[in-house]
Amino acid sequence: MSNPWQRLVPVYNKETHSRSFWIFGAITVLGFVLAGLRMVSPLGRYSGMNDAYAWGVWKIFNVMTLTAIGSGSLAVGLAAWVFGNEKLHIAMRTALVTSFLFYFTGMMALIVDVGRPWNFWQIILPWRWNGHSALLEVAVCMPAYAFLFLLFENVPLVLERFSYTGSDRVKGAIKRFDPVMKKVYPFVVAGAYLLPLMHQSSLGGLMLLSGPKVHPLWQSQVLPLLYVLAACICGFAFVNWTLLFTCYRYRRPISIEVVSEIGSLMSWVTFAWLVIRISDILIRGQVHAVLAFDRYSFLFLTETLLMAIPAILLRFKSKRETPRTLVTCSALAGLGGLLYRFTPTAFAFTPAKSYSYFPTLPEVLMTIGFISFGILTWRIAVRYFAILPGTNEEWHENNWEPLFVSLRSRFHKKPQGAPTWQE
Amino acid sequence: MSAGLTRRELLRLACIGSAAAAVAPVETATAAVHSEKPQAAPGAVGMLYDATVCTGCKACMAACNQVNELPADSAGSGGLYHAPLDLNSKTKNIIKLYQAPNAGKWSFVKRQCMHCLDPACVSGCPFEALSKDPEKGVVRWDGSRCIGCRYCEIACPFQIPKFEWDKWNPRIVKCEFCITQRLEKGEQPGCTGACPTGAVIFGKRDALLAEAKRRIAASPGKYFENRVYGEKDAGGTQVFYLAAVPFKDLGLPELGTDSIPYYATKVNAKLYKWLSGPLVLYGILALAVNRNWKHHRHEQEQHEAKGGLPEQL
Ligand code: SF4
Ligand code: SF4
Ligand code: SF4
Repeated sequence: MSNPWQRLVPVYNKETHSRSFWIFGAITVLGFVLAGLRMVSPLGRYSGMNDAYAWGVWKIFNVMTLTAIGSGSLAVGLAAWVFGNEKLHIAMRTALVTSFLFYFTGMMALIVDVGRPWNFWQIILPWRWNGHSALLEVAVCMPAYAFLFLLFENVPLVLERFSYTGSDRVKGAIKRFDPVMKKVYPFVVAGAYLLPLMHQSSLGGLMLLSGPKVHPLWQSQVLPLLYVLAACICGFAFVNWTLLFTCYRYRRPISIEVVSEIGSLMSWVTFAWLVIRISDILIRGQVHAVLAFDRYSFLFLTETLLMAIPAILLRFKSKRETPRTLVTCSALAGLGGLLYRFTPTAFAFTPAKSYSYFPTLPEVLMTIGFISFGILTWRIAVRYFAILPGTNEEWHENNWEPLFVSLRSRFHKKPQGAPTWQE
Repeated sequence: MSAGLTRRELLRLACIGSAAAAVAPVETATAAVHSEKPQAAPGAVGMLYDATVCTGCKACMAACNQVNELPADSAGSGGLYHAPLDLNSKTKNIIKLYQAPNAGKWSFVKRQCMHCLDPACVSGCPFEALSKDPEKGVVRWDGSRCIGCRYCEIACPFQIPKFEWDKWNPRIVKCEFCITQRLEKGEQPGCTGACPTGAVIFGKRDALLAEAKRRIAASPGKYFENRVYGEKDAGGTQVFYLAAVPFKDLGLPELGTDSIPYYATKVNAKLYKWLSGPLVLYGILALAVNRNWKHHRHEQEQHEAKGGLPEQL
């Protein structure tokens, strides 16, 4: 069986601006307009948050939950670069681009969410930092990771593009910059795993301070560890799911070797997660809460099954090598991880009886808007950059489409067919 | 890499290490470490509220709003007079009535910030907008540092900090012991000064604790569990409660006697001590990545030499 994924190849000659493109575009614009409006008006008007449920979907979903599936670059990167799994390098760009999009939208949600964002500038004054605060760690590490480390990791992708389509001067500059980048690359990349390990665990650490407000099935000293493992599970799951789904959509052959490897790694991490999760419940003597069969034990069982089923299934070679099963298993494990990360901040967070929280329409629209921004950007990115793996036959060195030309041509009703960059 | 570690590589490692240190929170030598059982400052002030004395006249509520220049919140009175439904961004102090479902037992309770000895709100606040005054132990808020993240609301076990949801430039509103308006002028807070029955009194924390214990000793069995709420709860607070009904019924949660910030930070405090954890981890990661990097580059170069396309990082 030869591996059909020899190279990362842009998606050539595919209609990007289909109807769904404009639908996602409209939702994105709506979300961004609402976000802009929120910035100039009080929070209360835009959200269902209150003094007891002081964090709404922007924080508990976009920041605390969705960055878990934005941890593909952590999970796949650790496997490829730290544990030396050569096979997985081909999945790295998919991981890096999707991770950046999740982190970027997460950071936007954070800015929309905080009430006094103009005081964020203090982040550059370390003597104002509270070293005990898990939130400080998140506030410093997350943007640093997204805008320094993740962006840097995505630089080769952009350089490669311009080394094919840029002017001679640009190409010359890239040639000179390339060795410098390659010198620092491994050291920056090492930091790019340290930081998410730190802030993904701190996200779990945030809820420690809420103490008894979080249901005992979730309130535990191992929250940070389980959060970071759940991030790895979600990261593997999402990268795999995205690879399979996008390749299917653009009719690319799939390398079973790579996707089953990711599936297998995901299942091992899930087992580790399950062992820690269940031992923690046993050690803290919370078995009775599991067997209470109230909404909390139901949530716990759902989340555990969502994790356990794919973990077990993927241990069978035949299952692992069926793309359909892999898609389903990735989706299940991803959902399980997301549910685990969402629950302590939402369903299992019970600060006061007399209050309740349900997101308002603008809150939901902004959240969806940010997500569709991610989908949209992903679709554009795979077209203009070499992100998706493909066969060598699909590779047309001279056929990189100039950025934005096709968008422009759409408005000017230029001749049909993809214009080439020599135009 | 360890064998061939040149000085330049070492230097580079150090540079990046310090860059990582710069973006990580600094567990500075000066920062106080949370202890399981925090101690009160010698000059710690306090408040003692005896629910069995309170007549529910709410004079303290009016006084609090007056001293703190807060507007009236008439939500509970149809617009007639100050009658908030709960502590909120216009109310730092409230008197609530608890009635037991059928036993005919009732009690008032006064709620405001507890000025915890080791406050969860202070521990969580990222930029130290909330801080505990080292001398008097009052927990204060500084608007020039607050980013409005509301982690203090998530963290506080007593649901005290409130956020101005209806303001574009929102503040965190909570009892600050009238520190600027009264304490710094050598006067007592608005609420304790206004209380006609002496249900809530002001004083030094240790003196008030002794007084509370004296009352319990004077009438054994009168007070719930013969216990002063706040002496040890959640590591201890600077506001004490005496009541004839279970504290939980008055909205005062049973939190155990350990400080919550201690619980939340005890593992991290070790891992992050002098940033040792992150630095060691970075070192391991860098060694591993570097080794695999060399291997990977080597393969790519061979691949290119054999006429393959340029590598893709
Ligand atoms: S009661 Fe709440 S707001 Fe007051 S000091 Fe304690 S944790 Fe902070
Ligand atoms: S809302 Fe303000 S005071 Fe409260 S934790 Fe955040 S920064 Fe600190
Ligand atoms: S000490 Fe001052 S701010 Fe606090 S409840 Fe009493 S009057 Fe209000």
